[in-house]
Formats: sequence, C-alpha cells, structure tokens
Amino acid sequence: MMSDTWTEQLRQTLHSYDEGLLRQVANRLCKPRNHWPVDELIDRCLAAVGNPAVVDRRLKELDEPGRNLLALIGHSRQPRWQVGNLVELSVALGNSDGLQAVQTLFEAGLLYPELTPRSRIKQFDQWLGKGNSLWAYVHPATGARTLEFDAQLPKCPGTQTLTGSGRHQVHEADGLEWPLRLAVLWQQVAAAPLRRTQQHDFFKRDLERLRSDPLLTGAPADNLGDLPDPGLLAVSLALAQELIHDKDGELVAGAFPSAWQESLPSMLASLWTALLHLEDWNSQQGWQPGETHGNPYPGAYLLTLLLLGNLPEERWASPDELVRWLIDRHPFWRTTQHRNASARSRAPALQRSTTPDTAGFIPFLLGLAYQLRLIQAAKGPEESWVVRLSPTGRWILGLADQQPASTTFPQTLLVQPNLEILVYRQGLTPDLIARLSRFARWKTLGAACTLQLEPETVYRALESGDSFESIVQTLERHSMKPTPAPVVEALRTWSNKRDRISVYPAAALFEFASAEDMQEAIARGLPAVLLGERLALVANESAIDYRHFRLVGTRDYVLPPEKCVEIEPDGVTLSIDLARSDLLLETELARFAELVPGGDVNNHRRYRLTPATVAAGRQQGLNVPLLENWFWRRSGQALTSASRLLLSGPDSPAAELRRQLVLHVANEEIADGLEQWPATRGLIRERLGPTAILVLEDDVPALEERLQTLGIKLQLEESPENDGSPQR
Amino acid sequence: MDKARIPVKLHRRVSLIQTEDAVLAEELLANKKLAQDIVGRLTGRVLLVRAGRVEGVVQELQKMGHTPQVVT
Repeated sequence: MMSDTWTEQLRQTLHSYDEGLLRQVANRLCKPRNHWPVDELIDRCLAAVGNPAVVDRRLKELDEPGRNLLALIGHSRQPRWQVGNLVELSVALGNSDGLQAVQTLFEAGLLYPELTPRSRIKQFDQWLGKGNSLWAYVHPATGARTLEFDAQLPKCPGTQTLTGSGRHQVHEADGLEWPLRLAVLWQQVAAAPLRRTQQHDFFKRDLERLRSDPLLTGAPADNLGDLPDPGLLAVSLALAQELIHDKDGELVAGAFPSAWQESLPSMLASLWTALLHLEDWNSQQGWQPGETHGNPYPGAYLLTLLLLGNLPEERWASPDELVRWLIDRHPFWRTTQHRNASARSRAPALQRSTTPDTAGFIPFLLGLAYQLRLIQAAKGPEESWVVRLSPTGRWILGLADQQPASTTFPQTLLVQPNLEILVYRQGLTPDLIARLSRFARWKTLGAACTLQLEPETVYRALESGDSFESIVQTLERHSMKPTPAPVVEALRTWSNKRDRISVYPAAALFEFASAEDMQEAIARGLPAVLLGERLALVANESAIDYRHFRLVGTRDYVLPPEKCVEIEPDGVTLSIDLARSDLLLETELARFAELVPGGDVNNHRRYRLTPATVAAGRQQGLNVPLLENWFWRRSGQALTSASRLLLSGPDSPAAELRRQLVLHVANEEIADGLEQWPATRGLIRERLGPTAILVLEDDVPALEERLQTLGIKLQLEESPENDGSPQR
Repeated sequence: MDKARIPVKLHRRVSLIQTEDAVLAEELLANKKLAQDIVGRLTGRVLLVRAGRVEGVVQELQKMGHTPQVVT
C-alpha cells in the first residue's frame, strides 16, 4: 500500500517533467525502443522502477558516487531527503562534487525531485539552483535494492576490542524510553494543547512547561548521556510521527499512529526515520525553531551509525574518534580551509563546533541512539564509553535481514486498590503503552513505571473508542493479579456517568407523519434512537438505507434557516411550509403562537398569534426587536402591524376617547383660508381632507363667531337623538 | 422493494444533546453560557444546539463536571 502511494507520487513527478527531460530520463531508466506517447512512457518508467532485475542493472550502470549515495538513502529507511543533506553525504564520503552525484541520480531516473503541485521542470540543474530547501525522494522499491550493494563506506575509525570485565558488561537500552515519553507528551497535549507563535516557537508558558516537566525532561533510568531540550525533542518526534498535529497554530493530540501497534523494533524504526526529518531540534543546540534551514544533522546521524555498521564483529568504536572522523569530513563541520562554497551556504544560523565534545554527536550517540536501542555501549579500557550497533540498529539500518527476537511478558502490571497501576518495563510494548496511555495518566517513568486511573483519563479513553469492557479487559490481560473490585467499580461508575449526556454533533433526524410510520421504519432496520412519537435520530447518516424512505422534505442545519413562513392577510396567522421548515421553527413558534386547529392542509400548518400567546412570549423575554428579527428571517417580511400591536399593546399609553366635530366647508379654497387666517388657525385641530377640518366642541362658539365675521354661516347637524347637541 | 416507501421529513446535520432525564436538561438550560448555544428544546430530554457550536458546548459541559458522550 505504501509502495502504491510512492508510485502514484512518482507518476505525478514524471508528469511534471518536460517531455524532452522525461525522454532523457526514460532513455536511461527503461531504454524504450519506440517513440512512446508520454503517458505510456511514464507507465514504462514506473514498471521499470518496480522491477528488481531492471533496478539492479541500472544500479550497476551507475558511477560509484551515485551508487553510494543511493545506498545511504536505502540504509536510512527514509525515502525523502533534503537535497543539501545528500550533497553533504556525498562530499563526506570523499566525492568532490556532491551536487553532480545528485544530478546523476536524477538523470538516471533513480532519484526524483519533490515538486510543488502544477510546477514544471525543464532541466535538473535549473531546479537544483533554486534554493537550499529542496527535497528529493527515492522510490522505496529502489531503496530496498540498494541494500544489496556495498556502500563503500570507509572503515570505522577508533576501533577497539574489549577485554576483561568490559566484554561482559554490554549495555543495551530497552528502547521504551522514547515511546514512553511520547505517550506522556500525548497525554499532556490531549489535556491542554500547545500554542505556537508565528515563528514556530512556543509561547513562554508552554516552553517552560516543555523544559521543566519532570517526566519529559528527567534522565532515563538507564542514562548514558544527556540530551539538550528532551521535552522539545519529544514534541518534534511526535509531530513527525503524526502523534500530535498542528491545528491552526495549536498542537493537538491525534490518534496513536499504526506504528504503535507494530513490534518495538518497527516502532523504533519509525522514530529513527522521523528523526531524519527534524527541522527544529539537533543534538548540539537542542531546540532551534525556525533557525535550522538546511539542518546538516540528519545526514551526520546516518553516517555515524553506518560507520558503526562497518565494525568487524566483536569490535567497538570510540565515540570521540567517530565524531572526529565526521567533523573532519562532513562539509558543515570541516575546518575553514577545507570548507567548500556549497557547505558555507547551508544552515548559516547554526553554530559549528569542531570539537568532538561539543559538536553534539556524543549526546546523539549516548543519549538518543542508545535510548532508541540503535547502539550498544560498554566501558572501554580507560573507563570511557565505547559503542557499536545493536542487533536492532543493524536491522533498522538494513544490515540484518531479521528483526531481533524479543521475549514477551504479557503479565507485566499490577493494579492497586488506590487506582494506581504499577508497570514493569520488561513486558511493555508500544501497543500496551498506547492502550494504557489512553485510560490512565503516567505518573513516573523509571525501571518500573506508575500510572493513575482517573475519571478524566477514563473519560478520554471512552471518547476515543474504548469501552468499560475493553479497559477492564486490558487490565485483566496484562495484570499479574485480578483487578481489585473497587477499581472495577470505579471504572464502571465513571463509564456510566458518561451515558448521562449524549452529544450528537451532526445527526440525521427523521420526522415521520405518524407513530405507525416510525415503527415501520424501525422494523425495517433503521438504526435510530427514538426521541418522541414521530421523531427518530440516527447518529451517522451513512448508516441509513434510503431505499425505504420517500423524502417529503429535507433541511440541512448547517445552512442558514429557510424562509418557510407565509403571513396571512390578518397579520397574525402564519402558514408554515412543512417541506421547508425545520425543527427550530416549531420550538420558536411555540414561544408566541398557537397551533390553529384543523390539521395540516396541503403540507402547510397554521399557527396564530393571540394576545394570550404573545403575553406568554413576553413573559419569556420576547420583545419587538426579537419578533421583528424572527419575521425577517422566517418570512422575509416585516413584522405585521397586528402582531406588533399584540406585542407592544401593554407598553402603549392609554387610548383617549375624545368628542370632536368635523367642519365641512364648500370648497378647498375656504378650507385653505381658514387654516391660514390667524383668527381661525388656532381653532383648527387638524386638516382631515380637502374640505374637512377637525375642531373641538369647546371651540365651536368662537369658530361660529369668526365665520360670521367672514359672512359664512355655520350650520350644525343635529344628533340622531335630536337632543340639539352636535353629532359625534 | 415490495413495501411502500415511508414518507419522512429528513433533518440533516442536526446538533443536539440528549440527557438522561428532563431534570438534567433543565440543569443544562440553567447554565447561562450553555443556554446561549442552545436554540430550542425538542422534547423534555433533547436540546437543539446552535450549528457550529458543538465543540464549545462539549467543553462547557466538561467544565460543569459532566462527561458527555460524543456520538458520531
């Protein structure tokens, strides 16, 4: 499967080559006899890469620098390398032009540039001139074949033979230290994500936490050498292994990668390949966020270990001599007079130390490679450490075919009534570390480790797919004694508590026309939780067999609410289009309206606002702005006057019933004149129309008098009761 | 398919909380911060959550000391 991914990536890369370049590469790689179309030519190239016999022939045709470089990549187990690292590796092996070796491999079709999507490449030398952070890759099938060829590495310097007691005191770590530390980090990140700055550093509080946490920074039980910033190395490794990942500038915990379910050597191999991609940590200066452009350490780590792979049997090497060899030959550390231009251009921000003690390789060997079980160590003649590859290291570097056999101790833990778990490291595996990490908190790491069962950790495990049964089963399977009853009871209580509240982030809710329809759907196998007489909930929509259903309406709740309400002319009756309405609508309506009896008609349901329903809404906080907003959202219309009246009525001042008279004049000009003439202007309350004027009953005598002065006779219409008073 | 298809209205991608009992639902609604993200009460035990606010709701529930089961 992994090879398929690489093959697909290679296909994309070859498609990015200009046709001329592709034909040049194909001529070297698969030697086509005809002028094939591009697609077919690429297929033939891919077939050649997947054919061990063809790859072996092409490897034999390569010059020695190119073949050696490919062999180094093959031994590293890491198909992706920075081009700068490859150049440095080639120079360190004695090749005067490392860049040419890389270009030769590109041209031979055995190494490929890692290109950005939609980019095109015309010539390899142009691409190589583009910068200092270019990446290249080898197809894993080719990498595997290179292991058959001797990398022509020089002899390991500083070899020694142990005599006397030294021969019998070989130190080899159990390889669990870094899996354990990563598990601790995972728990800490799961509890509180780490926040990063724009410069890829951490904010002060998190940085201090990573530099002072006793579990992440304490010395291992079997410690031969200290590492700088071990807590931040754990972060870098966890990121490279995708145990944690960056989510919008925050590092959050992911799931344990599949490598944790494999054997310990496989897990260590994945950590080794992750180490070769660390950009922001090195064994000399520790944490170097954003400063290690062109980090030379990955290539140097590889060379150091492969030199150890050249040791004859029963021989050991002095780390000092090994580091001296590297410093003298690796272009990054070479003394100034030997340093070439390409070396000077890489990693300008990194300090160069050219003494074995300070160059960072002793901590790498004794602090990291030892704890990753890549090397063994013993005390040399002068009580200084000497090292050699361990069987695990030989297998990881492709120098041994078989994984070293391991002894398993499945019963390796003890659960105590105080909810503490004591774990003996001999029986730990990456898988067990991952399982325990999910439901218990690591308290101490040492020859024996302790964990604590807590409600929060058990809850986290349940959330990530574990169950009460699976937790108890893990404890029972690996415990030397039965799990104490109070512990099982506590686990059960915590598990049950979780069942009190269920949150469905994106459920599918079925609204049936009748209870009978819902029962029928359940009988046909709808995997639903019933919420009411007509409502059923399905947590995962993909579990629904839609062949049983006819959808009369669909609403997606991630989309904005639809306008599904029509307002009838009375302004208080609302007609709901049931095909477009949603569940929120019914709950919203229930706050201020009541269902109109008569049932649904033409898939419409009617609600009505009444003084009582609106009053109830007011009691719950309903006000005019809220109702106005609701009307706009749901109907696309403004709040009707009638509805507004129902809501705002109680806030209105008291209505005043007044006796007033309407003066009707003969024409509009007279009305205008009366409205303008100062003598009558003050007696006119309001102009009601062209010839109609409102006057107060009390002003009638004054008005009559003014009209008489104008020669206009005022005639009063009698009231129906004929009581002589003007009609209202 | 011999049987007639059942007419149904489908509400997709609904976010909701289902509690063990109605009293617990009342308790959740009484939390002011949580109530802001709850847009309605479907039944006594089922609360509708504002779209896109599930993560915040789960965090608030955890702050309240609950251990909600997130069902996907």
